[in-house]
Amino acid sequence: MSKEMEINLSKITLRPYKISDVDDFLMYGGNEKVTRFTRWNTFTSKQEVVSYINDYCIPHPYCRSICIDNRSIGFVIIMPRSGDDRCRADVGYALAAEYWGHGITTRAVKMAISEGLKEFPDVVRFQGLVELENKASQRVLEKVGFLKECVLRKYSFNKGETRDMVMYSLLSTDFMP
Amino acid sequence: MEGGGNEFTGEITLRPLELSDIDDFMVWATDEKVTRFCSWEPYTNKEDAINFINTKVISHPWFRAICLNGQPIGAISVTKNSGNDRCRGELGYVLGSKYWGRGIATKAVKQVANTIFAEWPHLERLEAIVDVENPGSQRVLEKAGFQREGVLRKYMLLKGRTRDLVMFSLLSSDPKS
Repeated sequence: MSKEMEINLSKITLRPYKISDVDDFLMYGGNEKVTRFTRWNTFTSKQEVVSYINDYCIPHPYCRSICIDNRSIGFVIIMPRSGDDRCRADVGYALAAEYWGHGITTRAVKMAISEGLKEFPDVVRFQGLVELENKASQRVLEKVGFLKECVLRKYSFNKGETRDMVMYSLLSTDFMP
Repeated sequence: MEGGGNEFTGEITLRPLELSDIDDFMVWATDEKVTRFCSWEPYTNKEDAINFINTKVISHPWFRAICLNGQPIGAISVTKNSGNDRCRGELGYVLGSKYWGRGIATKAVKQVANTIFAEWPHLERLEAIVDVENPGSQRVLEKAGFQREGVLRKYMLLKGRTRDLVMFSLLSSDPKS
């Protein structure tokens, strides 16, 4: 899965994206292994990444780069809903493939949720929708403390097929940072 | 809520709701038993109801009056999604409380299930979310052949309070009931 390397998880930080992250973003956003289960179409150019960072990541209520030594190695997002749905927020994430298997995503998602609880006081439910085949991502949510609620059959369309998605949730009252 | 039997004395049909149905609409729309698990409060005047029909019903992707012998006694609707979510639509329904317990809502739901997949070729999943404290509505979906997928905790706000909701789905590929 990944090369032998020591990762000190206390070196993982979250920060807003900058245009200067474009090359690092393209390393993971342009990798089909990484984008396979995400909603992204694999990024194919710097220009595409610059537009995405400018038009989506930077203005977003909570979109953060997962960093090691301030270098972007991944992406985490919290999207609160509005109106009668404002008690819940969706969580999404992606990590450069060479950093898989060290607990980095788990750490980053925990950090994001801690921040999300402060940024979005109306949110009492964080939820993650993971494709049925994406076992690694399900393990991330389980390690963060999410509960598997159910399988939603043919819930959404991604990369040419309708997908069964597993619904996970974490209540603010259950969260242990 | 459940009556002694499942017979209804007449024919159940679905048709568009019109302004001329306003008096029949007011019968169920002003009833707080009916609106208990709806996101909206009972209507208190005809002007608001007329406004609802003119602005929300006429432009709705799929909205029908549930009629008993041609007279509207409730309503049923399916929302449409776009992009990667167009494979699913959400079902909702209300029925005048004096008609509860006779299998009428079940019949209306079955009629929708039998036509909507043909009308919307992109649709593969018809879903409905029901309050955990609304067993009558859960039974409607079970009798109509929907599969109960699981409970979504604190999923949304109902009149200001977070609610646990049960997710049901019917796929275009599920056996007809």
